[in-house]
Amino acid sequence: MPKKKRQTLTGYAFLAPALLIFLVMVVIPVIISLILAFTKWNFFSGFSGLRFVGLRNFNRLFASDRSFQTALINTLVYAVTIVPVTVFMGLLLAHFVNGRVYCQRFYRLAFFVPYISNMVALGAVFKFLFRSDGPINGILKGVFHVQAVPDWLVSSSLSRIPIICVMIYSGIGFCLIIYIAALKNVPKDLYEAAQVDGASPIKQFFKITMPMISPTTFYLVVVRLILTFQIFAAINIISESGKSSGSVSLVVLIYEEAFKNYNFGYASAEAWILVLFILGVTLLNFKLRKKWVHY
Amino acid sequence: MQDKRLSIKKLVLTMLLAIFAILFLLPLLWMLSSSLKTPMQVFEGEFRWIADKLHWNNYVSVWSNPDLPFWRMLVNSSLISVTTVAGQLFVASLAAYAFAKIEFKGRDVIFIIMLVTMMIPVQALIIPRYMLFFKIGLYDTLLSVILPNFFSVTTIFLLRQFYMGIPNELIEAAWLDGAGHFKIWAKVTMPLTKNGMISAAILAFINSWNEYLNPLIFLPSQDNYTVALGIRWYMNDTAREYNLMMSAAACTIIPIILIYISAQKYFEDGIVASSVKG
Repeated sequence: MPKKKRQTLTGYAFLAPALLIFLVMVVIPVIISLILAFTKWNFFSGFSGLRFVGLRNFNRLFASDRSFQTALINTLVYAVTIVPVTVFMGLLLAHFVNGRVYCQRFYRLAFFVPYISNMVALGAVFKFLFRSDGPINGILKGVFHVQAVPDWLVSSSLSRIPIICVMIYSGIGFCLIIYIAALKNVPKDLYEAAQVDGASPIKQFFKITMPMISPTTFYLVVVRLILTFQIFAAINIISESGKSSGSVSLVVLIYEEAFKNYNFGYASAEAWILVLFILGVTLLNFKLRKKWVHY
Repeated sequence: MQDKRLSIKKLVLTMLLAIFAILFLLPLLWMLSSSLKTPMQVFEGEFRWIADKLHWNNYVSVWSNPDLPFWRMLVNSSLISVTTVAGQLFVASLAAYAFAKIEFKGRDVIFIIMLVTMMIPVQALIIPRYMLFFKIGLYDTLLSVILPNFFSVTTIFLLRQFYMGIPNELIEAAWLDGAGHFKIWAKVTMPLTKNGMISAAILAFINSWNEYLNPLIFLPSQDNYTVALGIRWYMNDTAREYNLMMSAAACTIIPIILIYISAQKYFEDGIVASSVKG
């Protein structure tokens, strides 16, 4: 056998396990799910109950499905609140932890623990903290003398706040670790030169640190956005009433449509809206990159 | 003089940050405190970090609860995580070697396709996976949450970085000695990617331990519950015993913190290495 052909065979032999699982668990499901998005099908009606309906699922989603529209708006609200705060807090803390304090290792651990904690456990804790008779309202009453404390979990407009809080809480540690690695790569002599020129620490932060680590900020914004669009566990744990509650997100909707009602066709259509949403925003991110990321 | 002043400034910053770090950890400290109280004490008007005494037997009752013994959740989650790590590393190490060190037709195309599919959220794949598992009898078995995670683009990507760092001369030398690619992978190069393997293993373990959506869908019977589903059970339980719920939450979080502390360096290196833009 010629050497080149043997190389190719060996290559595919090494790839075989990965390719097999990739095909069965990713490629084929993508195709099936795309087909299902254009059907009306309840899982328990069997394959004979499957009907192709063209674009009708998508029409219904945008024309008349109120909970889908709420979910779409909520998912956006989560993204624009959670991501900027998480990334900024991560940067701020990384700035101090990296070389400006003693016991760096301890601080990295302290801020990182929520990130590696199970979201269900964090959700359980935050759900208690935000109870109408819980510690948060206790502080509002006792320290800030607020008389009419809100009922965070029941109110439809406020129920998003505990969820936003727990997501920020768990995400900061990840941004911190990535930022610390990036900060170590910023050349020291840039700061020395700035000091000679008499630039204040705050000016140094905005004029040197921020531009130098903008590729990291870009990376964090992209991955945290993708993650926040898939927000599920926090809502599933903290919200009282699933689909009808004011905090519903796209994935909560997909989950309920698929695994409570078993409408696999409609749920797949919703899932593909999510896919397009993520693809669109990520492409937009890369388009806007030139405007603020310095390489 | 200059040094002394600088270090005082550093000390003050350390103290300020310490206060912030403690505030930051308050929710988790509250969890620990509540897990050692009686149900009544959790709701007491006057808050105390430690009520009369520490009720360690909360942990005993959670572990051996006859309705839902939490030790079984810990065993299930450990089984799932360990198997996932072993399978994922084996599959990814082979693939990473091929992507980095063997030249063959279609290699780069396949790699790019795999990277692109990272953008597709798992929620778009979960319905067809459910149909498949239902059909082949994997539904409601631990394998249904293990198998999909044998393939991980992140881990392949991370290990590929490590294989790329190994000089080709080393492989050519082994080649001349008559070793084939498989032997080179197992004996020569894989040991050199040890740090990458440890990082990837810890990352995969924690991801798998903390997974929620997949177990929620694929593991309906209580015998197969993972730790996350166990906590959820306490939340839906009508008794709403917050002290027990918090004991379960603490049992879920503490093992992960211990793993992190024992391998902090590998862990952080892994997170950073897998985030390097390709």
